[in-house]
Amino acid sequence: MTASSVGSGHAPAVARGVKLRRGRGWRELEAWLYVLPGLAVFAVFIAYPITANIVASLFGPHGDVTMANYRQASGDAVFWTAMRNSAVWVVLCVVFEAAIGFVLALAIEMYIPRGRVVFRTLLFLPMVITPSVIALVFSTIYAPDYGLLFGVFDSVGLGGHFPAILGDPATATYGVIAVNVWQWSGFFVLMYCVGLTQIDRELLAAAAIDGAVGFARVRYVIWPLLYPVTTSLVVLGTIQALQQFPLIFLMTEGGPADSTQTLATYIFQTGFVLNEMHYASAVAVVLFVLSLALIVVQYRLGRERRAHA
Amino acid sequence: MPRTSAGARLAAYLVLGIAAAISLVPTIYMFDISLRDATDSFSPLLIVPRVTFANWVAVLAQGNLTGFFVSSALVSVVTVALTLACVIGLSYAISRLKIRGGQVILLLVVSALLLPLASLLIPIAKLLELLGLTNNYLGLIGPETALGIPFGTVIVKAAMDDIPMALEEAARIDGAGSFAVLMRVVVPLISPSLIVVAIWQFLYSWNEFFLALVIMTKDAVKTLPLAPLYYQGPFMTDPGKLFAILTLIAIVPMAAYVVLQRWFVAGLMEGGVKG
Repeated sequence: MTASSVGSGHAPAVARGVKLRRGRGWRELEAWLYVLPGLAVFAVFIAYPITANIVASLFGPHGDVTMANYRQASGDAVFWTAMRNSAVWVVLCVVFEAAIGFVLALAIEMYIPRGRVVFRTLLFLPMVITPSVIALVFSTIYAPDYGLLFGVFDSVGLGGHFPAILGDPATATYGVIAVNVWQWSGFFVLMYCVGLTQIDRELLAAAAIDGAVGFARVRYVIWPLLYPVTTSLVVLGTIQALQQFPLIFLMTEGGPADSTQTLATYIFQTGFVLNEMHYASAVAVVLFVLSLALIVVQYRLGRERRAHA
Repeated sequence: MPRTSAGARLAAYLVLGIAAAISLVPTIYMFDISLRDATDSFSPLLIVPRVTFANWVAVLAQGNLTGFFVSSALVSVVTVALTLACVIGLSYAISRLKIRGGQVILLLVVSALLLPLASLLIPIAKLLELLGLTNNYLGLIGPETALGIPFGTVIVKAAMDDIPMALEEAARIDGAGSFAVLMRVVVPLISPSLIVVAIWQFLYSWNEFFLALVIMTKDAVKTLPLAPLYYQGPFMTDPGKLFAILTLIAIVPMAAYVVLQRWFVAGLMEGGVKG
């Protein structure tokens, strides 16, 4: 781009110049050439699989059209465990990651004079570590008798009461969720930091004159201003929580006794371990519909809150 | 920044210090286990005073990890390049060339932002088998590119929307075709957003596990995220070596992020966080 080519209003020449070059048909065709690669990849690896998945879920093992896969799901106790766990995953991850992210971002952007880049970076680092590595490290941290957490319990004389977090069906899911929160909170911090830096400082100053200081400033000025960020993060966090696979697969394999199965791990279990592809497809459709529904609801809520803000 | 009291500042530093420690401790612990000799392997301490480099020497001498690294680098680099190409093309046609049906295309692509990979995995696996792409890098590159398109398009299209039309029209009058305008005017202007998409997509591809687990069953083509699973068995009783390998895998994206975070954050700030 050259500076001389910018500006100097010759609007009529623009229309003529463009029209002179080539016809309308060519320009339309040209535009399609640009979208072609993206649309092709999208069609093959997203649109087709979605359709194929829905179709497969409607077939029985002998090629008969049936709702049997969905009936099977409704009577399958493990499926309902997976549903419940997926719900727990979404709620706990989103709530904790957003809360931690908001508080820490506030501390970074509003309360410290130096070291912002350092904290943003340090807190984000867990995000970039390969989840399969994280899974093995945290399995060791949780390990009874020699793990780091056991060491902490032991050092305050509670070694004898150390719980086998991942071995107990009552706590295993929460143990894995904690790791997800550990990994993803830094992402929430960074996004809230970006949101905070874009708040108009004069607006804050004006609010302060109106008496919005301290907690009131956070609650009634900053938090509402960040609704758009929160909405995006809640949607992203929901998808991410529903997607989580490697942590569960490597830390508990869905066990003990299927107590940590989520829809994502159960699709793998039924489809690729038990080889019940049609049943797995039905579970996959449920996951797809569920995520779609959740996200539409969250967007609606986000918009409403913004409208009332 | 508004004025804050010394007490509030101190409290903020304290909270942030604790949070930063929590996010670093697992990495420090991982690294320390890689420096322990067999007698200390199962000590519940964060840091064991006795240090040995034997595990690292053994792991580096074996050199088995190179294959995993090469696979991951290849898949990630190609995936990032293809994703950028697809995303730029889509955004350009929709935002600047005003393709007919552009809004429909955008809605279609963006709605896939909400798709969990798990709900696509079975048909993708079957399709790749049909195409003979199981155990082939393209079997990862294709789906990963597709899954990167929705997020990338949201970011890049928004960035392109912010470019004043007059800039392009001026270039057109100078005789530039649409591709020249794209490369010389549009791409340089949206480079901060492109960097965000590239870094995000690289991290996603570099760390992708689920798809790789299903598609890459032959050891020769496995990517890095599968390496822990591969070494977990043989090194079950030898955590020092296993953790040297884990550290080696983790250190690459961590170092890369420390170097690149400036551009990543700058790109996010420039693009804003759109609701």
